[in-house]
Amino acid sequence: MLSVSGLFKQYISHDGTPGGGVFGADFTLKEGELFTLLGPSGCGKTTTLRSIAGLETPQKGRITLGSRDLFNSQSGVNVPMYDRDIGMVFQSYAIWPHMTVYENAAYPLKVGRKKKYSGAEVERKVKEALDMVGLGAFIQRPSTQLSGGQQQRLALARAFTREPDLLLLDEPLSNLDAQLREQMRSELKRLQKETGVTAIYVTHDQSEALAISDRIAVMNEGKIVQLGQPKDIYNRPTSEFVAHFIGRTNLIHGEMAHDAVAEATETVATPLGALRCFFPGTAKARKDIAIVVRPEHIRIRKAGAALEDGDNRLTGRLKAETYLGEIVEYVVDVAGKEFLVRTPFVQPIGPGDAVTLSFAPERTIALLEA
Amino acid sequence: MTTAPEAWDGAAVASRRMWWRRVRELAHISPIVAVLIGLLLVFLLPPTIYLIKASLYTTKPNGTFDQFTLRYYAELFGNPRFFQNLWNSCVYAVGSAAVALSLGTLQAWIVERTNTPLRHYVFLISIISLGIPSVLYTVSFLLILGKAGPVNQLLMWLADSPVPVINVYSMWGMIVVEGIDFVPLTFLMLSAVFHSNDASFEEASMMSGAGIVETFRRITLKLATPGLLALLILIFVRAFESFETPALVGRPGRINVLSTDIFESLRNSIPPNYGQAGAFSMVLMAIVIGLLAWYNRLSRDAAKYQTITGKGFRPRAMDLGKWRFLTAGLLILMFIVIIGLPVGIVIYASLLPYYGGVTLASLKLLTLSNYEQVFASGSFKDAIGNTLILGAATASLVCPLTAICAWLSARRYRGAWMLDQLATMPLVFPAIVMGVAFLYVFLQLPFGLYGSLLSVILVSMVRYLPYGMRSSYAGVLQLHRELEEASGISGARQATTFLRIVLPLIAPSLITCWLFVFLLSVKAVAAQILLVGPRSQVIAVTLFDLWNNGQVTELAATGVTWMALMTVVSTIFYLIARRYGLSIR
Ligand SMILES: Nc1ncnc2c1ncn2[C@@H]1O[C@H](COP(=O)(O)OP(=O)(O)O)[C@@H](O)[C@H]1O
Ligand SMILES: [Mg+2]
Repeated sequence: MLSVSGLFKQYISHDGTPGGGVFGADFTLKEGELFTLLGPSGCGKTTTLRSIAGLETPQKGRITLGSRDLFNSQSGVNVPMYDRDIGMVFQSYAIWPHMTVYENAAYPLKVGRKKKYSGAEVERKVKEALDMVGLGAFIQRPSTQLSGGQQQRLALARAFTREPDLLLLDEPLSNLDAQLREQMRSELKRLQKETGVTAIYVTHDQSEALAISDRIAVMNEGKIVQLGQPKDIYNRPTSEFVAHFIGRTNLIHGEMAHDAVAEATETVATPLGALRCFFPGTAKARKDIAIVVRPEHIRIRKAGAALEDGDNRLTGRLKAETYLGEIVEYVVDVAGKEFLVRTPFVQPIGPGDAVTLSFAPERTIALLEA
Repeated sequence: MTTAPEAWDGAAVASRRMWWRRVRELAHISPIVAVLIGLLLVFLLPPTIYLIKASLYTTKPNGTFDQFTLRYYAELFGNPRFFQNLWNSCVYAVGSAAVALSLGTLQAWIVERTNTPLRHYVFLISIISLGIPSVLYTVSFLLILGKAGPVNQLLMWLADSPVPVINVYSMWGMIVVEGIDFVPLTFLMLSAVFHSNDASFEEASMMSGAGIVETFRRITLKLATPGLLALLILIFVRAFESFETPALVGRPGRINVLSTDIFESLRNSIPPNYGQAGAFSMVLMAIVIGLLAWYNRLSRDAAKYQTITGKGFRPRAMDLGKWRFLTAGLLILMFIVIIGLPVGIVIYASLLPYYGGVTLASLKLLTLSNYEQVFASGSFKDAIGNTLILGAATASLVCPLTAICAWLSARRYRGAWMLDQLATMPLVFPAIVMGVAFLYVFLQLPFGLYGSLLSVILVSMVRYLPYGMRSSYAGVLQLHRELEEASGISGARQATTFLRIVLPLIAPSLITCWLFVFLLSVKAVAAQILLVGPRSQVIAVTLFDLWNNGQVTELAATGVTWMALMTVVSTIFYLIARRYGLSIR
């Protein structure tokens, strides 16, 4: 469907000093997929999206949509944005204030040169798109009289009217309040599945990304650092950056004496004792390896309670507990290192008590990348 | 990672690279940009070249250049009067900038920062006063402060003196008149400076126990300093090159400045001394270029200061308590001095058969005959018609042209940085110099442009390009980039995007631009006075000639009629601006 390879775009500030951007991104989208670019602010998500849309000209790389080159630095192809047949929802929505709702949504059908639409056709398509996003009743409203959420829907309808091959969404929900954001999130996902459009979704919000995506590419400092399904990104991070960026995590450094086999467990010696860890890929024996355990994968018990066999176990002292409503958060001191534990089950323990922590080896993930 | 010395070197390399990039850009310039650059060059290059040549060549009686010579410069620098007049120019410019800035600052602070009653009217009044021709304004002060004027009458009576006590045809007279003339414009620009500084800084100061005066001095003024300084230089430049006041107030008192020197070398010597005027112009221009470079540096700093204002920005009025009646009194007093008296005296003079000061006896003579005469005169109607055409044509040429230039340059089209530079370049031409430069060009051109209304319009257009650019740029900068990008993604080409998205959205600032350029272009006389002929009389020049012929009452009647017309225009402008929430700053 869409394939991006070796995409390189560095901004040069107006006095000539090189700045941020994207430094070599590769990914391929499948038909009908919702693909997310996730990363902290300034990591190059928008730059990637704008390069695909044709709003920026990359210095290097190749972008192919279907069988057509949109950009190819080698052959010098650079299709102008108005010929790319891509729909885009901007972070600011970019609703034109001097037009009505109808005029905004009809604009792409009127200005496009590739395909001419008759008046009746335009009307039908615009109505369809507006009905789809639930704005059917607002068709003749001046667009300045829309609320934030309605503007967002209109921006979506406008991107859909031309039935684009690809839909780009740049943090479409970040300007909405929390409640509306969740509602729009599921609605977006529904619309995308209904229409079957292939979409790239950009966000810096990890829970949003996990909830909505078919696949996620996590970006950092202009590079894609991990690409995979939400559950893999969450459960099998490959680097400290991804582990920390997606949810809270406990990090332990250790040493491994033997080579590890892919998709199997291997023992790692840590200052807290030997732990059996899961290796998503092969790894050579080495002096320093980082392993992570998610706080919600740890079980906490009063010291001495019976435990499942085969689990890693650590003993420590409870330092603090915090009720967060649906879960409880415990901070445990294990040999001078703080461990975070989150569980829905309140335990009969209090600060100062000796506790045992246990977690399954397949939840103890070795980070293959430094 | 770069170490500190490398970083320092890097900055130098970076700035060299930027220039190189910019020059290289010109090799792949967008066609539209190239066309516009060409158009601007057609208007800017010939006058500049002719001006330089005129100062370096002798001129034949038919106006063509003859032999290379440095004589004109030698004469200029060899003449002690030149240095005297240069000194006069400086004293005059510093003095009037000081007057304008102190009154303008006070006014702007009262209006933008306090809860003084009546403060909102100052905008309307300032805009109306923009419509008063400079010549008329200067004349009105001469009528008030002159030998036979009410001020001297009062002082003679008080001091029991048989001769006039004050002589307005002096340096202080020039300073006062020019300074006060600049107050409305200073106010409009300053209110923007005050407006963009966050009131919470002042509130923090008051909470720390500082009083209102203390806060004004230590916080408001300090924060506004870069903006104020930049404005000070701008007014200084404008006063330095100004022509009306030196011509009408200075010359009778034998106080000459550079701009009147230029005028005299062309008008009062036979044949016109083009070489001398050229040399004078080059000197005046060199000084103005230097000052503007300084201004640019300062206003960049001012912009930096203004980035202090961020999200929590809210301009709010300070409660002055009872003192607000004092500030209201000040506003009224300033209104009387700046508008009330000048307009009053002109109206009064327009109703007299001859002007002899304000006396009871003359009240019996009141008559409308001046108006009858003016309305009966065909040349007056021509002048009105010509002036309206001049203003409308100038504004209609300048605004669309600068709108395109500003957009191309704000959106970094290849080579568009040059459009920006070229459109701002006319600022370095003092008005009278621009008149001289174009005079040379029109004299050489075969198709009889000289003396036509079209020639006056063209010069006016060039002169107000920078003003249009400033206003259009502000409009384009407010436009969120994504509004245009959304159009491009929708399948629209650049031209469609410009016509269907950009133009409608910057329409409000285009309207403001149009009316400002209209008002400014019909107000001043300096750029036009050397160019108008019998076929192209305009109001400002008519008024100037009437004064020089001693036809004071006819001048007054003509002026009042024109002012009435302009007041209608300004008020409509003001109302449109309020209605659509346009910025009038
Ligand atoms: N127009 C621009 N000019 C210069 N630098 C830019 C520009 N746009 C983005 N950048 C820089 O490029 C980097 C990536 O920006 P962006 O793609 O917008 O990040 P994200 O969308 O992930 O927050 C940042 O360091 C940003 O400062
Ligand atoms: Mg972004």
